Amino acid sequence: MPEFSKMRKPDVKIVILGDMNVGKTSLLHRYTERKFKDTVSTVGGAFFLKQWGPYNISIWDTAGREQFHGLGSMYCRGAAAVILTYDLTNWHSLAELEERFLSLTDTANHDCIYAIVGNKADLTGNQAQQVAGQDGPTEDQGEGGGVNPPSACPTPPASPVLLSRVTLNKQVSREDAVSLYGRILRYKGMDESNCLPADKMCFETSAKTGYNVDALFETLFDMVLPSILRNRTEREQSPTVDLEDHKETGKRTRARCC
Amino acid sequence: MEIDDNKDNGETEEIISDLVSVDCNLSTGPGSLGPSLSNHLAPDPAGPLVNTTNVMLKAPTNSNPPSDTMAAPVPGAEAAPVPGAEAAPVPGAEAAPVPGAEAAPVPGAEAAPVPVPGAPVPVPRGPLFGAVGATVPGPETQGPQTAPVQMEKETDESSKTECQTNIGGQPEIIPEEPPGENEQDDSGEFVVTMLARGKLQEQGVGVTGGSSPLSAPSEGPSSHRDEDVTAESWRQHRKHVFVLSEAGKPIYSRYGSEEALSSTMGVMMALVSFVQSSDNTIRSVYSDGRTVVFMQKGPLVLVSVSSSRQSEQQLRGELLYVYYQIISMLTQASIARIFKNKKNYDLRRLLAGSEKILDGLLNLVDSDPSFLLAAVHCLPLASSLRDSLSQILQKAITPNLVFSILIANNQLLTIVQEKTVIEDTRLEPADVHLLLNLIGASSAFQAGEIWTPICLPLFNPDCYFYAYISYLDPPECTVCLLLLSTDKEAFYAVADCKRRIEEAMLAQSSLSLIAKARCYSVSQVGVSDLRHFMYKPFDIPDHHKQLTQFTSPEMEAPYSTDEERMRLLDLYRYMHSRIHSTSRPLKLIYHVAEKETMLAWITSKFELYTCFSPLVTKACAINAITKLLRWIKKEEDRLFIRYPPKYSTTPNPSKSSRKSDQQDSIDNGFMSLL
Ligand SMILES: Nc1nc2c(ncn2[C@@H]2O[C@H](COP(=O)(O)OP(=O)(O)OP(=O)(O)O)[C@@H](O)[C@H]2O)c(=O)[nH]1
Ligand SMILES: [Mg+2]
Repeated sequence: MPEFSKMRKPDVKIVILGDMNVGKTSLLHRYTERKFKDTVSTVGGAFFLKQWGPYNISIWDTAGREQFHGLGSMYCRGAAAVILTYDLTNWHSLAELEERFLSLTDTANHDCIYAIVGNKADLTGNQAQQVAGQDGPTEDQGEGGGVNPPSACPTPPASPVLLSRVTLNKQVSREDAVSLYGRILRYKGMDESNCLPADKMCFETSAKTGYNVDALFETLFDMVLPSILRNRTEREQSPTVDLEDHKETGKRTRARCC
Repeated sequence: MEIDDNKDNGETEEIISDLVSVDCNLSTGPGSLGPSLSNHLAPDPAGPLVNTTNVMLKAPTNSNPPSDTMAAPVPGAEAAPVPGAEAAPVPGAEAAPVPGAEAAPVPGAEAAPVPVPGAPVPVPRGPLFGAVGATVPGPETQGPQTAPVQMEKETDESSKTECQTNIGGQPEIIPEEPPGENEQDDSGEFVVTMLARGKLQEQGVGVTGGSSPLSAPSEGPSSHRDEDVTAESWRQHRKHVFVLSEAGKPIYSRYGSEEALSSTMGVMMALVSFVQSSDNTIRSVYSDGRTVVFMQKGPLVLVSVSSSRQSEQQLRGELLYVYYQIISMLTQASIARIFKNKKNYDLRRLLAGSEKILDGLLNLVDSDPSFLLAAVHCLPLASSLRDSLSQILQKAITPNLVFSILIANNQLLTIVQEKTVIEDTRLEPADVHLLLNLIGASSAFQAGEIWTPICLPLFNPDCYFYAYISYLDPPECTVCLLLLSTDKEAFYAVADCKRRIEEAMLAQSSLSLIAKARCYSVSQVGVSDLRHFMYKPFDIPDHHKQLTQFTSPEMEAPYSTDEERMRLLDLYRYMHSRIHSTSRPLKLIYHVAEKETMLAWITSKFELYTCFSPLVTKACAINAITKLLRWIKKEEDRLFIRYPPKYSTTPNPSKSSRKSDQQDSIDNGFMSLL
């Protein structure tokens, strides 16, 4: 395939994961098109190329539906950053990140950066009518690591659509997200002290109002710069680059992190 | 109109004399229907359906004479056992070697040569439920003239009358085998009254849809999900579709949430299994104004509850599309596996988020005749332009790429296939419809490049292709490229094909040429009374690997509103059901409706549906059809995709020999998929 090199080769790959309906597509639309518009549930994954200064950043917006679960690890292959997205008003969507999506990131780069993003912040802000006590959803949890979608799940909960009723209650606290971040680092066998701190990597956003969306993407772009530079040097050395390269861990710095 | 009618009758009788020869000529007709709906879309019902019909005919006629309109004429009660009917003397239609039309070679073909004034005349009809024709009692002024041969004359008034007669008619259950027990009627009634309690809409065939909530595409796709299922308006929907598992678990409902409907679905399943337990399969239930059709496919049960007056066969074909769309997302093998492991698995878990795709499909099924005809509609394009587009696609290939499809405004521009694939099989219209629906339903992604697994159920129900979907003209997003690969990992290679296609199209300014392409107006045919038509050529032996297509002009005034468009489609559906009736297929139907005159004609070479202004005479109509066929012949290179090109995905196709091409393709993993 000699023509292959003609393609605008992405320098780095970022993947957005998360349960269906949490707003992954909306976040990306907000960032790339500066607006919030109607979406349909994503099928498979959608690939976007974002020009970031002199660099080409590829972003994969994946489908949250269980139907496409099997593809997740393919989209994640060689990723330099993964955005784990949940819906701030839906506790279950946070639990799903750990149960269903975390294992997909096994194919990501060793030094992959993880961001935890609670979306739909507009539903929890000051406008929220009431912040009633809400311990209810804890029993939504259960069933360990649904790795194989169809069979592995003894007690299928109601479908995610039904669970994501829009309550005005903030169901997920920042602490929940922060502790998930810690568990992710442990899962990855990373030393917390060498990694980016949770308070930098847990975001709350609103695709609807735009709150914190640019900050999310641009912070991440800055953070993957080292990966970009590394990929570029490698490409100069050998013409056939594959994004799955796992070499060179730990070269990450916090350079330009704002 | 009266005068025309008389003429019609006169002509009709004349025609009968030529009949026999025509009949012989066309005895191959049914065979040539192969690629039509009956084969591809409803393979299974074709056989048993005949039985079903018989059952329906026999069982209830004695008990409830008023509702026997549903049962149509009992075979023996045929007015005249004369085999055959008439041939329309279409002179010299080029595309049509046999200028005639004739009765179906099926036994029941009826002919009523002499109109008996005032006598109720059994009009030929299939299992079309509650439709026009049949005995028309009452103040039917047209009565005497409705004594047609094949060329029946029907009026909307008559259908209304009949419709009312139907009210309160007992529901009938039609199991595959003659019903032994009466209890079935009870349970049938139970469900039917549950489902169809809604007031009967008095819709004649010609006036359907006026007030009913149309599933027009303009309605936001899933806006019906939160509907109150106990409300009258919910029952009033023209066509409900439900999907449930064998265990009775709801999987999909077109309107209202599946949850709210779980008890209704439970009842349906109870009914299905009740009938099954006596070794029958429930196929359909007819009740006042509704047809309920059941279909079991593997572990899934699909149910259609329709007041659209479509034939059971058509509704069954539609359910099959729904089934295929589900298969296209999950594959047949995995559905079977899931339910084998766990009988009461909640499939919504996997289909969550796909409701819009199914909703969109059902809206298309209602509004796009491609589904009815089981054929694809391509955008008319100068053949030189189409060829150059095909060549562009043909050059931009990569290993494991098997289909390259270019689409503009949801209409096909061209399809190019890998050689090995095309040798074995071809892309079926139904698979193309599913692909187009998927693209339509995911159009929100216009800026990105989609990579998603998709199964083409008719191609192979058990494996996935990987579809690359991208628009070539952002931000308008009307021209869409669809590349299908067998390799899950091939995204970057396939995306690179797109870039090459983009470059080539830029160099040839293809996009601006495509933008100028339009569907045509019927006025271009130059026949004054012709308002609309649909023409579907059948496979001709030499081209049997071609995709089945049809051509049709834009729907223009008076069919410019959704309601009017739907009304015309309903007329077409009615004509189609008559032509394809399993019990009594017809070859030519001349149908005078209130606001238009319809003529449908099927030969071994084509299937044609035409719509004329109501005042056209039969002679005019026949003359018009001759002109129309001539025009189509002249334009066919523009109207259809001819000789779809093939490519080989070996890196150097130009000089490699055919044999090694195939070998490579096998190595590429395509064969292992099969
Ligand atoms: N109020 C509010 N609604 C949002 C926000 N982001 C997304 N939504 C809504 O949430 C729904 C789902 O949004 P999507 O962006 O399609 O969700 P997704 O995560 O891409 O879902 P899948 O593609 O199925 O995985 C849509 O109805 C959005 O309008 C947000 O920030 N605030
Ligand atoms: Mg999405």
